[in-house]
Amino acid sequence: MIGYLGIDVGSVSTNLVFFDDCGVIRKSIYLRTRGKPIDTVQKGLKELGANLPSGTKVRGVGTTGSGRHLTGVIVGADAVKNEITAHAVASSLLVPGVQSILEIGGQDSKIIILRNGVVSDFAMNTVCAAGTGSFLDQQAGRLGIPIEKFGELALQARSPVRIAGRCAVFAESDMIHKQQMGCSLPDILAGLCDALVRNYLNNVGKGKEILAPVVFQGGVAANAGMVRAFEKALDLKVQVPSYFDVMGAVGAALLAREAVARKGASSFKGFEVADMDYQTGSFECSGCPNLCEVVEVSENDRVIARWGDRCSKWSNAVGAKIS
Amino acid sequence: MPVKVGIPRALLYYYYYPLWKTFFEGLGAQVILSSPSTKGILTDGLRFAVDEICLPVKLAFGHVLDLIGKVDYIFLPRLISIRRNEYICPKFLGLPDMVRRLAGIPPLIDVNVNRYRGDNELCQVIKEVGRLFTRNNFKIWLTCRRSLKVQKHYFRLLQLGLMPAEALAVLENRVKNEPLAAPGKITVALLGHPYNIYDPFINMNIIGRLRAMGANVITAENLQEQTVVSYAARLPKKLFWTLGQRMIGAALHYLERSDVNGMIHVAAFGCGPDSMTGELIERRARAAGMPFLNLTLDEHTGEAGIITRLEAFLDMVRWKTAGTVEVI
Repeated sequence: MIGYLGIDVGSVSTNLVFFDDCGVIRKSIYLRTRGKPIDTVQKGLKELGANLPSGTKVRGVGTTGSGRHLTGVIVGADAVKNEITAHAVASSLLVPGVQSILEIGGQDSKIIILRNGVVSDFAMNTVCAAGTGSFLDQQAGRLGIPIEKFGELALQARSPVRIAGRCAVFAESDMIHKQQMGCSLPDILAGLCDALVRNYLNNVGKGKEILAPVVFQGGVAANAGMVRAFEKALDLKVQVPSYFDVMGAVGAALLAREAVARKGASSFKGFEVADMDYQTGSFECSGCPNLCEVVEVSENDRVIARWGDRCSKWSNAVGAKIS
Repeated sequence: MPVKVGIPRALLYYYYYPLWKTFFEGLGAQVILSSPSTKGILTDGLRFAVDEICLPVKLAFGHVLDLIGKVDYIFLPRLISIRRNEYICPKFLGLPDMVRRLAGIPPLIDVNVNRYRGDNELCQVIKEVGRLFTRNNFKIWLTCRRSLKVQKHYFRLLQLGLMPAEALAVLENRVKNEPLAAPGKITVALLGHPYNIYDPFINMNIIGRLRAMGANVITAENLQEQTVVSYAARLPKKLFWTLGQRMIGAALHYLERSDVNGMIHVAAFGCGPDSMTGELIERRARAAGMPFLNLTLDEHTGEAGIITRLEAFLDMVRWKTAGTVEVI
């Protein structure tokens, strides 16, 4: 089998996708990053390698997500792309004609508007992470319910309570108040979904024209309560694609296919990467008052990349330069 | 030894440095510029400035601090108005009085620059500053004339498409004045206050990054003043801020230009006028179908966030103009 590999390394999850020449997704893996991007990518690659038939050839590999540069250096990526483009590319393939993409991940949320198959506008959340997956995760933990059950319970709500969604800290005190007033758990959960949707549409979606077909993706799309809250707020049908939680990786793989078609050969280092020894470290450069924090990645004790220096004197020294 | 006059590399330095420098040097002073912005300068600025002001003024504080101990005077004019019937932001007006209490600060040259009702006052101001260095009124007048000439040359260089740092390099004979190459396939209009878009530290090198990603960058300063003013006049009501007017005028002009493929507005955290002009520009860009990106700079901005947004924005612009996503 010949195919393409896409890796999306986000703050909360790391996803790997392998699709074959015909564009069929053969394997997708969703892992928690747990603050160790390299280990997680290695684990994912090992799992993926073991699950694919022997003799599988990876013709190209793409990375995306906030850890895209790091991962790109480690696996030898052909395409290293930001998550907006990756998500848009994946959605337009899997949901033809899509006009609006709502994406809520672990610590970021974005909206992508497409018209005639081309991205026409996008926005990402700014400094505040209220209304993202991490917050739902945390609240589910506080209420003692597994996050997987969250959506199901929220759907049982009869009259969702009103919760302030502007700030996660205030939303939490609001929820505690509602709990102590005796509101039912499903009503509170549904209220929380409504609040997050309101916050999302007012901040990220501010001024954007959301037209059908609307696709909802990212880890939070697993939450049926959120899907319903979006449908209610938008008064539109909201689709959740079957690979909603690995769409970034799908997009990265698609971009890798295009990159390899253009440049000829892949720079993929092979599944052996999973067993190599990678070390990362950082140091503060004292060359000037900028005091840049320079990150260094080494493979088997050899420095393969550096970044973070504004003047590029460190990154140029190893050749693997990143933006 | 000549008298040393310090000029903070902040705020309207990006507009008027050639004028100020020529004037002070012409009167026999030595001009000392604060160091280019660094984390250290910003941190100092944040520590000493009041909380309520905007990021660029906090950074200007850092530049003033950088000059302390190195100069005999700090030139910090109280900028009230630089064009008839228009104003500069009140935070500029308050700056000399805000920095005055800093420990060890040398005497400020904080004359009022107010052209709101014309230039009569300005002549008096120039004389006042000149009198600090010479009693010869004729010399002041000559130096002033020469400074204005240099300034005019500088503006002309900007209108040829140079960025302030490049135009200064040409003025100071550090590089030869050669026609500008525009190698990028797409052109992006970058709009924002000059001290935000031209300070590579505070904006994380937006211009350099855009160019490295293959885009040509044009700004409001690349346009003739007349163009900017006439386009800004299309607003139903005149904006009072000169800098905001510039942005709006340039935006409206670039929206009509077929060689401009995208528009980026850079706002500073805590800037009142920016939140207004940004919104005005965004609405018009949307109506015109121009790809638009709004970036807000604050002291906590991580590079990753800026890079992701710029990359995604250029992908969007290329996707729209060429019909495909650039993959490598």
